[in-house]
Amino acid sequence: MDGRTTLALICALAGGAWLLLAAGVLASRIGSRTRTDLAAIAGEWPLYDEGDRTRSPTGARESETRMLLERGLRSDEQDVRVASITALAGLADRYEWAIDGLVEALASGLESPVRVAAQLDRLAPRPGRRLTPLLGHPSDAVRFIAVRLLARYPTLAGLHVPDLTRDPAPRVRAAALETLRAAHSAEALRCSLQLIGDPQPLVRAHACRTAVAIAGPVTAPYVAPRLADDSWWVREAAREALVGIGRDVALVVEPLLESDDPVLQMGAALVLQDIGPVDDQRGERSSDGELGRIVAAGGRRLHEAAAERARRGVGVDGRTWPLAEASP
Amino acid sequence: MTAEALLQGLVVGCAAYLVLLYATYLALMLVGFVESRRTRRELRIDDLAVLGGSRFSPSVSVVLAAYNEAVALPHAVRSLLELDYAEFEVIVVNDGSTDDTLERLVEALELVSVEATSRGVVATERIAAYYRSFRHPRLLVIDKANGGKADALNAGLNHSRFRYVCGVDADMVFARDALSRAMRAITRDPARIVGLTSFVEIAEDPSRALVGGVEYDIPESKPLIAYQTLDYLRAFYNNRIAWSRFDFMLCAIGAFQVWRRDLLDELGGWSRDYTCEDIELTFRVHRTLLDAKRPYRVVCLPDRVGVTEGPDTVRKLVAQRERWQRVILETWWAYRHMSFNRRYGAVGLVGMPFYLLSEIVAPVFELTAIATLFAGAATGLVDWWHFVFVTAAITLVNSAFNAGALLMSDLNAPVYRLGGMLRLLMLMPLELLVYRPIMAWARVKGTWRFLRGDRAWHKFERNVRVEAA
Repeated sequence: MDGRTTLALICALAGGAWLLLAAGVLASRIGSRTRTDLAAIAGEWPLYDEGDRTRSPTGARESETRMLLERGLRSDEQDVRVASITALAGLADRYEWAIDGLVEALASGLESPVRVAAQLDRLAPRPGRRLTPLLGHPSDAVRFIAVRLLARYPTLAGLHVPDLTRDPAPRVRAAALETLRAAHSAEALRCSLQLIGDPQPLVRAHACRTAVAIAGPVTAPYVAPRLADDSWWVREAAREALVGIGRDVALVVEPLLESDDPVLQMGAALVLQDIGPVDDQRGERSSDGELGRIVAAGGRRLHEAAAERARRGVGVDGRTWPLAEASP
Repeated sequence: MTAEALLQGLVVGCAAYLVLLYATYLALMLVGFVESRRTRRELRIDDLAVLGGSRFSPSVSVVLAAYNEAVALPHAVRSLLELDYAEFEVIVVNDGSTDDTLERLVEALELVSVEATSRGVVATERIAAYYRSFRHPRLLVIDKANGGKADALNAGLNHSRFRYVCGVDADMVFARDALSRAMRAITRDPARIVGLTSFVEIAEDPSRALVGGVEYDIPESKPLIAYQTLDYLRAFYNNRIAWSRFDFMLCAIGAFQVWRRDLLDELGGWSRDYTCEDIELTFRVHRTLLDAKRPYRVVCLPDRVGVTEGPDTVRKLVAQRERWQRVILETWWAYRHMSFNRRYGAVGLVGMPFYLLSEIVAPVFELTAIATLFAGAATGLVDWWHFVFVTAAITLVNSAFNAGALLMSDLNAPVYRLGGMLRLLMLMPLELLVYRPIMAWARVKGTWRFLRGDRAWHKFERNVRVEAA
């Protein structure tokens, strides 16, 4: 074959491929319309492959479907396991065994717990008591998810979760504290105050938030020292928790402006910025009184931010005031 | 050696290069088809809505770096704030803009100046101010001294609270389900996937091309934008999807790059030593994790996550692509020890040699091929029939690759208007004559600037857009 023939052949092949693929583009569009129409008529999506068959077991008898999905959960193929979970979640609206299947899937740890947890969370409050055995699961990943799922069940959480605040895994302790926020019990408060001194920053951060969420202003003296924590995460959690209390926290935070620790001073100034006293004193000179102390503790940027808010007549919480009143 | 023998040698060399390149492209495209089909199947069996809306899905800090983006930025930020995802925050970093970027943002989102604190993981230029919005509690705006895009992203990283950090560009408009799609893939293998990128669409004005984050109005009719659409389709569907499958995904694009925050912290964030930050970070992730023999994956999805702005003039397009060429060269050169190195697995043995073949030596071969063909035709060594056949063959092979990418895109999500698709199909055969010379020029220019040590961004003006409401 000479060069010219070879080139002609390449042209023919490439041109043919282009035309074929171009036809494929148009056919795919027509095909997708046909599939959509068929799906609308038949009331269900056509079944194409193993994953789809597992997801849409309509037509099969209940017991067969259940067996198929149980087998699917144990499959070596991730697609089949995922399809089984999605199918179980769909069927859980009608069948209790589907919820059992999801709980089992979570306990087995074969598939990403996030995926199963998202479905079980959507089904609340029905999974309820089925979740409590998972709190003693040997895997901390499963215990972590189970504890978080119980946040939707304050009574169950109040009964079972305090024990998990002593779990060896920090993320389980942190999740337990997060869940106890909804429980509002004395036991939950005791656990959270105890864990404000936990060695793990994640746990301390959640402890600050939980304590304030349960008991509000009375916990401020315990949480406020955490504004000087070694960890930024804990400092931020403490600040946010204290800001969440509102103006009542000022009494606890203001004395911290006089602290020897600049980190604590800064934390206190940020809290006071966010709850309002800085904006309240917008007419005063920044070197005087309380505003002067806050500005000295909070630094240049806090001062400049306050001055800009005053200039624009808007508070940190979105409150507005007449501009004339705002001028320094 | 006679001139004739030299010319003959060059013809054979260029032909061999083309055959090798196209054979590689063909193999990658076939893998792309298989992978796209797999992703489509995953999407059919995954419950995207439940995953996206669940408090159990991984939390994400979206970081957007902006420099002189007064017109584009409000569109991008609004689309981010409207994402359908349970737990995320948006951190916008104004990198010392000299226009009214910050003022417009303050006005559009009713921002108030506050003081805040940083995690302080990476050193950055000085922070001038922080802004929050009482209407949008997820939003934090940081105003800092100019330090370049990498520095701005690092400032965002210093304030990121969530498990994953998603770096995005200011000229994008995002699909509402962008994060749901990305994080769906991550939840399939959270222990190993440390980085992810996804397909972005291109338009002259993204805010008109993706209305309300849901309705696409694409592709664009302007030929220059249409050719860029084909370029993006090929880059993602014909290449990156396959790179991802074989674990040599070498570029998580700056427009949409999701990384695990702890890994970014460990690596010290994005590097300021390169013209662009995205390719270098991807290379650094590969090197670090392969050196440490840690199991990991960086993946690319075929899912559309938004629309980015395509330059609407040749001058702007050349400026953009010469920068891309420069950064590829800078990065490849800095990490050249990984190339052909068994220690770096598929990255060293396949990915980097592929970059060398398709990006780095491409300008040399493109120029040589054009010069040789014309010289050969003029001297009679290559007869005019050969000349025509070679040109036709290259045109048709390129068209076939383009059509393959378009088909994959349409099978994945049929969002293009039918008329627009027909126009794209008809534009394909002219690509070699109309679009490729512009790309070749940009690559030559980029290579020249790299050799001269140019590291500047050379920012060009954004397209004219409708103002954000």
